[in-house]
Amino acid sequence: MSQDQPRRWIAVVGNPNAGKSTLFNALTGLRQRVGNYPGVTVEKRTGTAYTLHGEAIELVDLPGMYSLSPRSPDEEIARKVLRGESDGIPQPDAILCVVDASNLERNLFLVTQVMELGIPVLVALNMVDVAEARGVRIRPGELSQRMGVKFLPTVATRGKGLVELRAALGQKLSDPGERRWVMPPQLATAVGQIAAAWRDALPAELGAEGRALELLAGGKDGPEGARKLAAAWRERFREQAYDWPAAVVQARYAYLKEMLGQAGVGHGQAHLTWTDRIDALVLNPVAGWGVLAGILTLLFTSIFSIAAYPMEWIDIAFSAAGGWLQGAMPAGLFRDLLVDGVLAGVGGVVIFLPQILILFFFLGLLEDSGYLARAAFLLDRVMHRVGLSGKSFIPLLSSYACAIPGIMATRTVEDPKDRLTTILVAPLMSCSARIPVYTTLIAAAVPAAVMPSWAKAGAMLGLYALGTGTAFVLAWLFRKKMMGGGSPPLILELPPYRRPSLRTVALRMWERAVIFLRRAGTVILALSILLWFLCNFPHTAEDPTERLAQSFAGQIGHALEPVLRPLGFDWRIGIGLVASLAAREVFVSTMSIVYHAGGEEEGLVQAMRSASWPDGSLIYTPLTCLALLVFYVYALQCLSTVAVVRRETGSWKWPAFMMLYMAGLAYAGAWLVQAVGGMLGG
Amino acid sequence: MKAMDLTQVGAGREVRVSRLDCAPGTCQRLREMGFCENAMVRKIRGGADLVCWVCGTRVALSARLARQILVETVDGNS
Ligand SMILES: Nc1nc2c(ncn2[C@@H]2O[C@H](COP(=O)(O)OP(=O)(O)O)[C@@H](O)[C@H]2O)c(=O)[nH]1
Repeated sequence: MSQDQPRRWIAVVGNPNAGKSTLFNALTGLRQRVGNYPGVTVEKRTGTAYTLHGEAIELVDLPGMYSLSPRSPDEEIARKVLRGESDGIPQPDAILCVVDASNLERNLFLVTQVMELGIPVLVALNMVDVAEARGVRIRPGELSQRMGVKFLPTVATRGKGLVELRAALGQKLSDPGERRWVMPPQLATAVGQIAAAWRDALPAELGAEGRALELLAGGKDGPEGARKLAAAWRERFREQAYDWPAAVVQARYAYLKEMLGQAGVGHGQAHLTWTDRIDALVLNPVAGWGVLAGILTLLFTSIFSIAAYPMEWIDIAFSAAGGWLQGAMPAGLFRDLLVDGVLAGVGGVVIFLPQILILFFFLGLLEDSGYLARAAFLLDRVMHRVGLSGKSFIPLLSSYACAIPGIMATRTVEDPKDRLTTILVAPLMSCSARIPVYTTLIAAAVPAAVMPSWAKAGAMLGLYALGTGTAFVLAWLFRKKMMGGGSPPLILELPPYRRPSLRTVALRMWERAVIFLRRAGTVILALSILLWFLCNFPHTAEDPTERLAQSFAGQIGHALEPVLRPLGFDWRIGIGLVASLAAREVFVSTMSIVYHAGGEEEGLVQAMRSASWPDGSLIYTPLTCLALLVFYVYALQCLSTVAVVRRETGSWKWPAFMMLYMAGLAYAGAWLVQAVGGMLGG
Repeated sequence: MKAMDLTQVGAGREVRVSRLDCAPGTCQRLREMGFCENAMVRKIRGGADLVCWVCGTRVALSARLARQILVETVDGNS
């Protein structure tokens, strides 16, 4: 194959849980790219595979789906890619369908639709091991002959059948032949006419019948004549109250049932297996919640305790690198930039990598084993109250660790409105970066001696509850009131429990790590440099406290004071707010510089407690501390979150909206604290 | 043969879908997942939300949806 010939594209489609990702990973390994389709929150995954002859081909992994009739944006994307209407992906030269051999009837339903696209189809008959264990006879030859497309048996997890698959991908695949299922006569007339009109206009195109069905369902692309005809038929069917889409589904299933019977392939009997026995416990209304609570406890303990060690090593490594630079470079601005700007800024974010890896390790295990579907099922009724589905729970929970993995985990939420809502409220869940800010401010509000530790814990809990409660109220507002409709009623496949594949889990962790580190190396690096510049220029004074006061950040603080005054904040707090735009915990280190407090928290708390306004009254009254706490619960002081939301939603619109609404909430919340406190005479 | 909805079926029983009574989009999704008219469904777990065996897979449904799936008992299984 010559170098400059464009590579062939193959789209991989299949039902959820058919083993599509496993097969895709097996074929492409680490040669994968993850992105977003323009403008929508649907993940786009492509990768390079090699045929047995060494020809490089591009695979695009489409979202798992049950049907091609576009109803959800996922299916719309899939349809667009398959039709060659998606930017950046040419029309596929062939389609690889991944089907679960132990559940052929439902899986082949999608194949009958895919075959109508007029593109060559190859079917990977996956999970033959499971099917055989269930006593289903696998007859690829028989199926190929009856359906008119090639079936190849595979076991994706063990790499069985991959060689044959790669060989077949290298050969020229034949177009799927005639439609095999029987259309009801009434519909057949309509489809025949529309397809003929299509062929008259565009004789070269294959799959006119599939096009006709698409037009009948309300599709908008196609020659004018065919479109008009389709509209007329649609209207006639509506008048006759003829539910033709239902008839099509039934006709496809009827054909498959008969064909599978003739081919001697039954589907497994409905008998209770150990999956049902585990479900009896896991889905039990009482015990199920216990299991869920246990798993979540384990997850969070690991995120906070196990991750503490590697986090400390990263911290030590970054400090050591800083120390080494201090010694090795001549004193000067450039050194300061590297040490205080670049290393401190990037280090402050990279330190969350272990938490992210652990979270995705657990999520991978839970998803791959089949448990995540059960958790979603259990939580669905709770989440339904605010208009979300059970799938939003895990991302929200993860956001207690850090909003970034939480937002990345929203990829498991299929409904795009649900996903967007989850992303929008996720940063309201108090993340671990807020902890240092909370503790410092609580200590500044009430002297440690006066405040027993249970009260401190209670105050912390109150802050968490405030964030969580607001998140649910806003989720309800965004999802139910603004986007409309509430999430669709639950229909969820519960896959059988399986031993998770460590390879899949490891690949997923690797992928998240790369995404995360790449961002730390680009966006966050740039922002850290910018922030350092703001805090250090104009470079007039040698004394750091003086310099910060006169810097751009200091000037911004002064400029902000009139706005912040109603909240009880002075310009120094303004500096803290500006500096902690990149990451909340920076507030503490910035305030240490502002108050000349050195590195220790106690010194800072002392300095804050005695700080006063020009008229001598204290700045950090308990009320102001509370206002500042509320501000930090709500404000989106985290540019990494903004960057990740931009990435995940594919536009600047949502991060901008998020920043605005959260800033509004923070300001209003802090103001309310002062106003109510003032009224109560506090 | 008595018409009832899926929530009224006892766990472990197998029934045949006779009619779907829901919004067109939802109906279509149910059919595509295997809940076609005449399809055989075995209820695995009852409760507020339920789990059925249909077309070779376990599918969980909310009770709200299950009430819209009308079913009939099959001879020899009543
Ligand atoms: N026994 C067996 N398990 C498989 C096979 N292919 C995939 N799996 C497992 O099936 C589950 C679902 O696979 P996945 O690739 O995530 O499915 P997808 O939803 O279609 O992408 C995972 O636990 C896989 O490890 C197979 O051929 N045999």
